Amino acid sequence: MTTSPPPPTAPVKERTFALSRELFRYKPGLFAFNLLMWGLVHASPALLTLAVSGVFRHLEEADALKTGGQVLNPAIAAAWVSLAWFTFVRLSRFGIFYGAFRAWIELWYTLDALVRRNLLGYLLTARRSRRLPDTPAEAVSRFRDDVDDVAGYTEVWVDGAGFVAYSVIAVTLMARVDPLITGLVCAPLLLMIAFVQRLSPTIRTYRRRMREATARVTDFIGETFGAVSAVKLAAQEDRMVTHLRSLGETRRHAALRDVLLTELIRGVNTNMVNLAVGLVLLLGANKVRGRALNVDDFVLFIGLLPRLTASMGFFGDAIARHRRTGVSYDRMTRLLQDAPDTSIVAHHDVYLSADPPAPTPAPPHIPLQELRVQNLSATHPGGLGVHDISFTVARGEFIVITGRIGSGKSTLLRALLGLIPTQSGQTYWNGQPIDDPATFLVPPRSAYAAQIPNLFSDTLQENITSGGPATHLSRAVKLAVLEPDLDTLGSGLSTPVGARGVKLSGGQIQRAAVARMLARDADLLVFDDVSSALDARTEAQLWQGLAGTDATCLVVSHRRAALARADRILLLQNGTLTDHGTLPELLGRNEEMRALWHDDAAGGEEEGRPPSQLR
Amino acid sequence: MLATYLGPLKWQVMALAALLLSGTALNLSLPQLLRQFVDNARLGGAADPGLLTRLAGLYIALAVGVQVMTAGATYVGARVGWTATNRLRADLMDHLLSLDMREHKERTPGEMIERIDGDVTALSNFFSQFAVRVFGAALLLTGALIMFFREDWRVGLGVTAFTLVTLVTINRVRKLGVEPTRLERESSARLFGFIEERLTGLEDIRSLGAGGHHLNRFLGVQREYFTRSVNSWRGRSVVWQLSMLLFAVGYVAVLSAAVGLYAAGSITLGTAFLMYQYMTLVEEPIDQLTQQLQDLQKAGASIGRVSELLALRTTVTGGSAPLSAGPLALDFRDVSFTYAPGDPQARGVLSGVTFHLNAGQTLGLLGRTGSGKTTLTRLISRLYDATAGEITLGGVNITHVPLKELRRRVAVVTQDVQLFQASVRDNLSFFDPTVTDAQVEAALHEVGLGAWLSRLERGVHTPLPTGSLSAGQAQLLAFARVMLRDPSVIILDEPSSRLDPATEALLTAAMTRLLAGRTAIIIAHRLDTVARADRILVLGGGEVLEDGPRADLARDPHSHYAALLRAGTLDGTAAQGVLA
Repeated sequence: MTTSPPPPTAPVKERTFALSRELFRYKPGLFAFNLLMWGLVHASPALLTLAVSGVFRHLEEADALKTGGQVLNPAIAAAWVSLAWFTFVRLSRFGIFYGAFRAWIELWYTLDALVRRNLLGYLLTARRSRRLPDTPAEAVSRFRDDVDDVAGYTEVWVDGAGFVAYSVIAVTLMARVDPLITGLVCAPLLLMIAFVQRLSPTIRTYRRRMREATARVTDFIGETFGAVSAVKLAAQEDRMVTHLRSLGETRRHAALRDVLLTELIRGVNTNMVNLAVGLVLLLGANKVRGRALNVDDFVLFIGLLPRLTASMGFFGDAIARHRRTGVSYDRMTRLLQDAPDTSIVAHHDVYLSADPPAPTPAPPHIPLQELRVQNLSATHPGGLGVHDISFTVARGEFIVITGRIGSGKSTLLRALLGLIPTQSGQTYWNGQPIDDPATFLVPPRSAYAAQIPNLFSDTLQENITSGGPATHLSRAVKLAVLEPDLDTLGSGLSTPVGARGVKLSGGQIQRAAVARMLARDADLLVFDDVSSALDARTEAQLWQGLAGTDATCLVVSHRRAALARADRILLLQNGTLTDHGTLPELLGRNEEMRALWHDDAAGGEEEGRPPSQLR
Repeated sequence: MLATYLGPLKWQVMALAALLLSGTALNLSLPQLLRQFVDNARLGGAADPGLLTRLAGLYIALAVGVQVMTAGATYVGARVGWTATNRLRADLMDHLLSLDMREHKERTPGEMIERIDGDVTALSNFFSQFAVRVFGAALLLTGALIMFFREDWRVGLGVTAFTLVTLVTINRVRKLGVEPTRLERESSARLFGFIEERLTGLEDIRSLGAGGHHLNRFLGVQREYFTRSVNSWRGRSVVWQLSMLLFAVGYVAVLSAAVGLYAAGSITLGTAFLMYQYMTLVEEPIDQLTQQLQDLQKAGASIGRVSELLALRTTVTGGSAPLSAGPLALDFRDVSFTYAPGDPQARGVLSGVTFHLNAGQTLGLLGRTGSGKTTLTRLISRLYDATAGEITLGGVNITHVPLKELRRRVAVVTQDVQLFQASVRDNLSFFDPTVTDAQVEAALHEVGLGAWLSRLERGVHTPLPTGSLSAGQAQLLAFARVMLRDPSVIILDEPSSRLDPATEALLTAAMTRLLAGRTAIIIAHRLDTVARADRILVLGGGEVLEDGPRADLARDPHSHYAALLRAGTLDGTAAQGVLA
């Protein structure tokens, strides 16, 4: 592989900050508004407690006046003023919360959308080969859980600012009453942050295990339903459910560990507040007797402490969340492989309120004169692959690549097109070296039909045009011999094909994929063994139809229909190109070619079919 | 649903209840301690310092106790939740797998993930904690209200009225969130289904240069998800906002009452302080109830979707008539089929198909692409049921046979082989631990994958290397799957379609052994594949064009089969007329 996995030793901490900072900058106004609003939401309880404490202070003054036998009215009036202040703060907090909440939801889902768009956008459009490190189902959990983690991490900062403001106000208020008690109460709270910090690596491990176990479950569900007909035909539904149970059991254990650790941290947090209140009681006991600490001071301490501890717990949790976000970034990077870090958080419009503009037009058309492949090697991790392949295709030629199973035919095509990484070799288009085949060899230069093509749940027409113009649609449908199928489908081209095209037959999917490729009107047409789902006659019809165009064809096939039509044949054996030439040449001198040709006798195709067979 | 899934966990549920209740009781006693402390402290110099210290110590001890109870309750709750939801997931999967293929065509695997995992996870909290937490909160609330009544019956009455109004109002507005939440989950399933499909077809999209187009489509799907998510959050948040507003009113009222009553000389300063303290005691359980109502909303939407799935019934159900042992004769009597029975315009795929195949015989099924060959075989294994007519195996109508038994006895090798991201042995045995490694190895050797197997690092336990497996090798693996079973009827749907001729020879010997003594249907595009068949059936446009013993048809110069043989190819010019 040319793309090695990113070094995991990179300082994750640095990266999480740097990447998240880019996210915050995406909507700076909205982010700043969130900071302000949530700052107010979180800090206002300090004011509320102060107001309540004020009410009791004035009542206490009144109490003192009453004992002295004086008029209470001024003190009671002052208590009403404090109460009015309390009412005002409480009601404005409601209004602030309303705005803050809306702003947060908007920010959170916008960032969610951005990261998701960046991941998919990179996989769909970036240069070089893109292969998923895991199954698609598992990759989906990157788009779901990890994206949520990364976008949700913003909450740490939005809330964090408010909690800092609250803590500063609370500590100041408390210190004004009694600096010593305040100091003694706050010390254990700080210990908590250290405690959470220490546990961070463990949190990370547990969380990762839990995520992995979850991914295995979702992955398995996805695969099972992707292969649902095979499972049903084998009558193995029970086994699949049993396997799901055992995966679920593993996940349950991982989840419970995670819960236990989180609870431990939360427990320590909450106990700190109780310890602190207990301390206030203990230390205050003496002062109360000396009348140095009043009811309003109690109200202040007891009112401020829970939220102060909650803030400390929040800071501890924020550290843990920071680490988890690091894990999520790591996993996204693994998905994107060679992508620069910043591509996850790059700023792009996500079009949440308007339609996106038309995608970038196809690259300029450079009419093919000659395609040259030089010393191409591509091996799978298992050791299979193709080695040191060189050949040339001239404009208008019909080249067939043939060989046994596992001889590397498909690998050769996919390496050539840049769909899989190559170890060495270079491809030239009209003599110019192709820098990145994956983005260069696309329509209008080249188009490709895979051996097992994938369609998408949409109408047949949308699948065939894939966003391209419908100008070549009817020609493509005709050439791909898909026309007769249209009558049997309920609504012709507007028929929905179902998830992955399940509503079509295997042959129809293949023909639809060929039509999809032809609708792009490319110079070079690359076919990977379309014969697997087409009968020989349909395949012959396809080649015959293409002969009427000036297309250059590179075809993997073992059918006589293709071999007989070939201008040249490339013969692959165990991943190397052992011979090439015209069919008579190869049949004359190559034993392997004779074996392949002979075995296809019964299903073979005579050359020179009457044109009447073309529809 | 609760009873079904929590019933087996009753001891854990009871432990959970005990933990939560004792936690609540301790929680109620904390302010009592606090009051006692304040009362004592306000005695001034007369206060007993030893008592004050003991009270403070007791406070700390009880508070730690509350925390231990809460942590224990959360842990046990999570345990109950995970156990119950894992069971629900398994049951859902079991149920969904039993649905017929018509249902599966409507849903992407990504959507299935969202429905089996996403929805059930949303239910987790509901399962584990809802009932007990609501109960605990109600208890705490009642306790706090009694305190108010003890202080002043007017204030008690006022706070009770306030509590009732708050709970009723919140319960009303929470319904606002249910529908938006359902819509949100629906579009979330669509979004992740969309992503999953595109990731699966990544190469198709990239090689067509259609990345930009699909990204735009994605943005559209995501935009809908965004709008619905924001709406659903807004709908749900009305509950919190309302409770915030109501509590603002409540606190102001209680404090006003305290100041007013004090000014009127009805209460002492200590009582005023206590009234404020009790108000915080009312706030907590109402908050708790509100939060649980939130979960109830989410759970309600999820339960709706889960029940919707569980209510789906398969139209393909088995009977109880057993199949006799050994090879089975196969009969089709006037069988017709259409994929869209409700649509009179759709053309039937099969119409009036009748034929008989003796036990142990092999039938070669010929016909052009789209002539209904594959559909015909799908009816035998009952992936679909015939719209009209009757199919019997060994004289028993297949709809009377238990579905499991039918599918165990009928093995099918399809055109496209579906593999799992799992070890070679799990792929062949479908995760069946009773199949031995030796059996798997033997099956692989039999289909000619012995050399391939020997290259694998960990033998049959090697995870299937994705990507490096060619379509032909996958086809051979599918053969090995059938080798592992002992079916009475074998259906090979274009078994050689992905094999190059040289490799196909490997299979012929194994195939002969497999078909010996078994009833078989082979769909093929090559005449030599069916050269050993006992009978030939030619299908065209969903109807039987020809059916008879192969030898007889070969001799009859007017038969379609003979015409095909003369042309030397299934698709030769002479066959044009009969197969088009």
